[in-house]
Amino acid sequence: MSRRRTGAGVPALLVPPAAVGAVFLLLPTIALLVRMPWSGLRDLYADSRVSSALTLSLQSATAATAASLLFGVPLAWMLARLRIRGLGLIRAAVTMPLVLPPVVGGVALFLALGRFGVVGRYLDQWFGFTLPFTKYGLVVAETFVAMPFLVITAEGAFRAADRGLEEAAATLGASRLTVFWRITLPGIGPSLVAGTVLCWARALGEFGATITFNGSLPGHTEVMPTLISLALETNPEQAEALSLVLIGIALVILTALREQWLRPAVSS
Amino acid sequence: MNPQVAGELDAAVEVERGSFRLDLDVQAGPGEILAVLGPNGAGKTTLLRALAGLLPLSGGYVRLDGTVLDDPAAGVYLDPPRRRVGVVFQDYRLFPRMRVLDNVACGPRSRGVDRASARHAAQQWLDRLDVGELARRRPGQLSGGQAQRVALARALATEPRLLLLDEPLAALDARTRATVQGELREHLAGFAGPTLLVTHDPLEALLLADRIMALEAGRIVQQGSPHDIAARPVTDYVATLVGVNLYAGVATGGRVELDDGGAIMIGDTALAGRVLVAVRPSAITVYTSRPDPGSARNLWPGRIDALAPLGDRIRLSVSGSPGALVDVTAPAVAELSLARGRDVWLATKATEVDAYPDGR
Repeated sequence: MSRRRTGAGVPALLVPPAAVGAVFLLLPTIALLVRMPWSGLRDLYADSRVSSALTLSLQSATAATAASLLFGVPLAWMLARLRIRGLGLIRAAVTMPLVLPPVVGGVALFLALGRFGVVGRYLDQWFGFTLPFTKYGLVVAETFVAMPFLVITAEGAFRAADRGLEEAAATLGASRLTVFWRITLPGIGPSLVAGTVLCWARALGEFGATITFNGSLPGHTEVMPTLISLALETNPEQAEALSLVLIGIALVILTALREQWLRPAVSS
Repeated sequence: MNPQVAGELDAAVEVERGSFRLDLDVQAGPGEILAVLGPNGAGKTTLLRALAGLLPLSGGYVRLDGTVLDDPAAGVYLDPPRRRVGVVFQDYRLFPRMRVLDNVACGPRSRGVDRASARHAAQQWLDRLDVGELARRRPGQLSGGQAQRVALARALATEPRLLLLDEPLAALDARTRATVQGELREHLAGFAGPTLLVTHDPLEALLLADRIMALEAGRIVQQGSPHDIAARPVTDYVATLVGVNLYAGVATGGRVELDDGGAIMIGDTALAGRVLVAVRPSAITVYTSRPDPGSARNLWPGRIDALAPLGDRIRLSVSGSPGALVDVTAPAVAELSLARGRDVWLATKATEVDAYPDGR
């Protein structure tokens, strides 16, 4: 009732910049919806190039998320729990893709895994397999950029997890793996879900590293972000329509996570 | 396995953590309940963690049923899952996402029992501890007393060789405590192995334990039956814990000259040399003026420093030569107008005074 009079009110000086900030963040989305060629949407989506890009986007983002879970969660556990020298350095290194411009990430991937890359040349020599410009290259590029999101979220949760429960499980005879699987992992469930979704969303929207490492071959390595970028030059209406799809996905994610899921990830 | 050493704990525990050092020997036989009593920071929980394997020893050894669990010199260390040591933690540490039944089934499951049999065994343990009807609940839906029993059931379901309880009643409110205390004694009586019960509450130790080990600063200061400890404490800490006045002095012919001033007459005239004198607060009588000579052979003046309620009594802290804690009833306080700063006379019979050689 008397909320206005409580000491924790908002200082008046903060209101204008806050309003500007909110409008600035919302405006592009609103503009997109305003300018959307609603009547011609059906035709724009009917394009087989669009459906294959969308399918490939969803597939590669999901595969990248699976890879991030498989490798990122154990990595996060190590970073949170091991007490070894140089761990801080490893932590800084693995979170590097968070601050690296994605294009640079793509170049770096090329030097590592490209046909003449440090590791890639052996893939080519021994197995006749080249990663760039393939579906697998897509997954690799997206994983590279998205996995750190999962790692830092999970690491924070592992740090904050109740070690007492793990000790209790150990005294009950549970092996370390059982403790991890049955106690530790369920304990960080909410953070893990949030981290996984953030990771998936990041992988789905990944553009820079993806296009650098894989190009954008229609039906092959062309995903939604690269298709949108190319469509903007040739068929702006299609770019707008395709953007709508990604906005829709973002909205679904935000609604699904809401505060209860997102908050632990943000606060930890 | 040698049946003569079955259910036997034998340990020499040395743990160093920074400046703190825990160094003590502990033995406990089958079915024995040993209370480890001491102030915060005495090393009680450290001892418990070392026995459970949650903290490796720096030196010494832990043997249970003749099996070496930890012996740094021999390079032996079994981690907690391989120890068969049941632990009831102070905060119970029930798994919040599992039902009560699955919490208790956890131990049998970890030993390779299939799910159905493990749940069956878990239900039996819950029934035995009278919480069988709570099996489907989550730990968050339990009261403190119920959680305590579930935690005990979970520990017992692993069929441990040694049971460790860390402040089992500390998390309970005063009313629940009294009930749970009685039940706990009963439930522990059914356990065949040794039980170690860590507590800072002397009453808990006195009521639950067969034997008490008093710990201070990582060392044993006294060991004995609850009766011995309560009647004849050897350090001020234990005396304060059990609520007994303790004085050190030199005895000759039934008279003890106290180190800190004053003298006390004792019944035992044969006792000589350095002794400790224990006087229960309830064995001292308070007078507001000097009484006529009576049968009480100890009579000395003092001044009331503080009054504090203690259960159904009032405990007076009286300074004098010697100073003493004195227990009186609330009506007596009112009738005699006892208050802080009041000069009083204290009296106690020599037969109420317990004197024993100071072995320190």
